[in-house]
Amino acid sequence: MVLGNYKTAVCARAADADILKCSQDGGVVTELFTYALENGVIDGAIVAGPGDAPFKPEPIVATTKAELLAARGTRYTISPNMSLIKEATRSYGLDKVGIVGTPCQMQALRKAQLYPIGMRKVPDKIALAIGIFCMENFPYQGLEAIVEDHCNTKMESAVKMDIGKGKFTVYTERGAVTQIPLGATHKYEQPGCHVCLDYVANMADVSTGSVGTPDGWSTVFVRTKKGEDVWSKAVAAGYFETKDIASVKPGLDLVTKLATGKIDRNKKTLEERAKMGVGKGLRNPYI
Amino acid sequence: MSKVVEISPTTRHEGHTKLVLKVNDEGIIERGDWLSITPVRGIEKLAVGKTMHQAPKISSRVCGICPVAHTLAGIEAMEGSIGCEIPDDAYLLRIILQCANKLHSIALHNILSLPDMYLPGTDIHINPFSKEEPVRSVALRIQRLREIGQTIGEIAGGEPIHPSNPRIGGMYKNISPRAKSKIYDLAKEGSELARAHMDFMISVFKDWDNRSTASVASSYEVEKNDKFGFHDQGYMAVDPLYASTNLDADPKWFPERWTEVRPWDWYMGQQDITLDDPNYPNKATTPAGAKAWPQMEACTAVPLYDGAPVEVGPRARLAIFRNYDRKGAMGLQIARQMEYPDCLYAMMDAVDALNTSGPVVADEIPQGDGSLGWAANEAPRGTDVHLAKVKDGRVQWYSLLVPTTWNFPTVSRALEGAPWQLAEVIVRAYDPCVSCATHMMVVDEEKKVVAQKLVQ
Ligand SMILES: Cc1cc2nc3c(=O)[nH]c(=O)nc-3n(C[C@H](O)[C@H](O)[C@H](O)COP(=O)(O)OP(=O)(O)OC[C@H]3O[C@@H](n4cnc5c(N)ncnc54)[C@H](O)[C@@H]3O)c2cc1C
Ligand code: SF4
Ligand SMILES: [Fe+2]
Repeated sequence: MVLGNYKTAVCARAADADILKCSQDGGVVTELFTYALENGVIDGAIVAGPGDAPFKPEPIVATTKAELLAARGTRYTISPNMSLIKEATRSYGLDKVGIVGTPCQMQALRKAQLYPIGMRKVPDKIALAIGIFCMENFPYQGLEAIVEDHCNTKMESAVKMDIGKGKFTVYTERGAVTQIPLGATHKYEQPGCHVCLDYVANMADVSTGSVGTPDGWSTVFVRTKKGEDVWSKAVAAGYFETKDIASVKPGLDLVTKLATGKIDRNKKTLEERAKMGVGKGLRNPYI
Repeated sequence: MSKVVEISPTTRHEGHTKLVLKVNDEGIIERGDWLSITPVRGIEKLAVGKTMHQAPKISSRVCGICPVAHTLAGIEAMEGSIGCEIPDDAYLLRIILQCANKLHSIALHNILSLPDMYLPGTDIHINPFSKEEPVRSVALRIQRLREIGQTIGEIAGGEPIHPSNPRIGGMYKNISPRAKSKIYDLAKEGSELARAHMDFMISVFKDWDNRSTASVASSYEVEKNDKFGFHDQGYMAVDPLYASTNLDADPKWFPERWTEVRPWDWYMGQQDITLDDPNYPNKATTPAGAKAWPQMEACTAVPLYDGAPVEVGPRARLAIFRNYDRKGAMGLQIARQMEYPDCLYAMMDAVDALNTSGPVVADEIPQGDGSLGWAANEAPRGTDVHLAKVKDGRVQWYSLLVPTTWNFPTVSRALEGAPWQLAEVIVRAYDPCVSCATHMMVVDEEKKVVAQKLVQ
């Protein structure tokens, strides 16, 4: 159950070379939103747009493919995409909203749909929620310290950052690549991430991440009826190349292993926190 | 010998009120007191010391039917005090919001009025919840008009009920081009529906006027009087649609013409109730033998303009700006229906003129030096005047003279001459909204009103 409920798991990448070029992994998020936008499934999507500093995202409501493209790629810092969920249905005038987010953002989204306090007329307008896998996230200053102090790279010259195979990697425009062991980044993580019990966005319609499939490909979980409907149509329409997940390396075993690791580790933190303090422990956000 | 009958509570309007009526042997009202028994909200006192940004948001919560009017009047009173002009596109968004709320409000009031009315040419009262035609289509049309109003309000104002987008200095956000066309399409759809609906509603109200007898909802028929709901009071309105403030080049409302009287001095003293009627709908008449004390029980001060009560609302606007002259309760109802198309056309004009990339917040927002500012907003039910003094960004003084407060004493006059069994039809013609109409007073241990809120 560490991978949540899903109907299918598949290895996939975008068929559109333009999308693949600057996306993080298989360009699944950008391509699926593009399909949804072009086929009336959504009329806009909340994504992490470019912000006022390098790799500092600013949530935007993208209503064109160009805006989706400009928001490609992972920024390992907080992009409060949920902050636009209501506004998207208000001054933006959307009736069918798409949103991408980390597992915790997917939880917030579903909670808002279930208990729409201050969210009148929002729940029924959520048309497609894409979740991205997430082990941890960093405050912007933390990310700056990792990139500038540990990787000796100016934020301005970075073109891509990636976490994988136990390393944090920064790529620059000039082709320089700096890698540090992931262990060195732990102290910059958000403390909240240490009590997070979801790795693969169990609450999304479709979730995707890099782990489990070869470089340039993505692991995709199709979870809900809604998700299955868009996904199967997008695949049938030729938007994606797919492979059987059982045929690729390292496959779902690694996803399961990492998810289990995250959950076990964070459960331990929860237990420790319950005993912290005098008389009463810190609250477990899950109960 | 005149008798006293009390209808309490009255129904099918917002808030809690009652009628204390002195009637003659024929049951004709000789003197009518219509009074609010909604508890005082205390908004004006709560606002003191709050920031100018906060106070209008609080005051809008006084009511859930005309929250847009209260938000805009409150904000514009603050802007009037600090002397802040807003960008054109913010003004256009406010107009859209104003019209959206009015559209929804008129439609909602149709549902409250229809049960007293008849299908034209028949003796059948209209039950808006009936599944039968033609009523079902009318009810669906009303709901669609409300939905259109609320959806537009939600886009321009941020929320369908209490708008979040308006702020001191303009609006927080402009809308997207997509939202702009959505508003236009909705308004266009609404204008077609509203025209057909207005025709229907007017035929219903004219039919009622032409009847010789009538009844309140399921009650028994009584003979009507000729000048049903007539009064000789004047009208007050500041704009055909939107508002006037002290910042206008040519302001249309004058604080010095406004005075207030205590309910103690205006309403009847203690009365023995001597008439009741178990057949009145909802058993709403108080049993004979009980007592009523209007001057003590009324929760509103009585505002006067030029020393006399005035009527505010749709007819006042049409009378002042369009020479409308149909009197009586149905004259007011018909005037209200005539505002349907105005709302939608004004909305379409405003959205057409809106530049979605224009700024909507003033460059500079002064903090205020304690000068008096006021804004008179033409709310669905009439002129909603907010007055405020802001100094260093904080509210020093705040007063709300809301639509139904103005209408209370006028309605009391309009009741005279009508059979008491139809008094509620007159009250309902004013679409009263009572919770916001309730003001602050000071009462001592003997329950006597000892001090009126200090004016100025
Ligand atoms: C903080 C973080 C931690 C991650 N950890 C892992 C992990 O441990 N294992 C793993 O397999 N995958 C992880 N991912 C997901 C991975 O990095 C890719 O985002 C994912 O595979 C999607 O790639 P893509 O090529 O399909 O998406 P693209 O087509 O490149 O689109 C990515 C989408 O995500 C949005 N986005 C970017 N940054 C953020 C953000 N910070 N918050 C919300 N939305 C954002 C973008 O706007 C864009 O729409 C993580 C992502 C984030 C943001
Ligand atoms: S680890 Fe959990 S809490 Fe932290 S960003 Fe990822 S999903 Fe959110
Ligand atoms: Fe009201």
